[in-house]
Amino acid sequence: MQLPQCVNNMKNKNKRRGNEFGFNFFKMLVNFTGLRGAYGFLYIVCIYYLIFDLAAVKAAMAYIARRFPKDNFLLKYFHVYKLFVSQGKQLIDRYAATQNGKVFDITLKGYDEFTDLLKSGRGFVVVGAHVGSWQVAMTILRDLKKTVYLIMRPEDNPAVFESLKVGKSEAQIKCISPDGFLGGMVEATNALTHGGVVCFLGDRNYGFDTVGVKFLSAEALFPYGAFHLAACAQAPLVVLLSAKTAPEHYELDARKIFLFHYRKGSDKKTQLTAWVQKYAHALEAYVQKYPYQCFLFHDIWVKG
Amino acid sequence: MQDEKEEQLKSIRKKLKELLVANLSLEGVKPENIKDDEILFGEGLGLDSLDAVEIVVLLQRNFALEVKDMSEGKKIFYSVNTLAEYVYANAKK
Repeated sequence: MQLPQCVNNMKNKNKRRGNEFGFNFFKMLVNFTGLRGAYGFLYIVCIYYLIFDLAAVKAAMAYIARRFPKDNFLLKYFHVYKLFVSQGKQLIDRYAATQNGKVFDITLKGYDEFTDLLKSGRGFVVVGAHVGSWQVAMTILRDLKKTVYLIMRPEDNPAVFESLKVGKSEAQIKCISPDGFLGGMVEATNALTHGGVVCFLGDRNYGFDTVGVKFLSAEALFPYGAFHLAACAQAPLVVLLSAKTAPEHYELDARKIFLFHYRKGSDKKTQLTAWVQKYAHALEAYVQKYPYQCFLFHDIWVKG
Repeated sequence: MQDEKEEQLKSIRKKLKELLVANLSLEGVKPENIKDDEILFGEGLGLDSLDAVEIVVLLQRNFALEVKDMSEGKKIFYSVNTLAEYVYANAKK
């Protein structure tokens, strides 16, 4: 399925910040000084990006302006700096977890409900977001003893795919590209039927259909494909959000587990909007608690 | 034998059209108005990838069938005719 050009343009704009030298420098810091040594340098490096990477600042401002609506421009600028530092720390963690063998302490909220779901043997949908470190969260999916399918483009996260051995024959984590036949939805549906776990990032639409829901006091567009898939396949849907709560500790929240089904006689779009709104509510509660761990670096809000 | 095959295909096509209208959001479309060679995705009926989810589910629930080979998927999901051929061929196995 051909994606619109605007999506391809967005893909190019969302290239990583920094260059190969910078990344290698931080990798060396992690190897020789540990996480905290690497974190320390971030405070200086992020000042550089704050001043000279205006595109990055602008990209962050869409979220910061809505999360901190009453703050003046200077304060918002400072919030952007804190967001950059937070993101930098989690990028360092991602490298440490996926390529340097670092094991983070990870706790799971909603442990009982989640394990009951695993024991049921049913396939289910997981919807995450660009908050915390979903890549660190993925490291626990390896241990689920279920086949996990990530709905994403391999080229968007090559390092994570390599470290998790995504798509390799011995791996339990596979990739379904939304650029594939019918957006990968046939494979995704089959996966659920066979008890697999299908994972989406619920705040990225890859150019597919969205609905407008309230998020941070304004209408924002979120994709509804994951919710539609869960309802049609009558599979539970888990909202899974991760947060860094200490230098070497992450908390995953899987307490929101939904079972959606379409009611006959009621408009499907209306039902989908209500379900996506639940996800947006969960995301909003998260960003109220962890304002500097929301890495939505593009404007998802409706203009006007 | 050929007549029997054609009769069964006709019955499958009819059922598929009824299921498509009943399960997808096809406003103002009646099963009898859907042509056998109507293209399902993009043109024709204008279905999209999310409609594919519902088609996969209705194949599973009504015919106990699954499309496993994605390289064949484009051909199978091309039109009502090709979908019916797939149902007929796999229901026989």
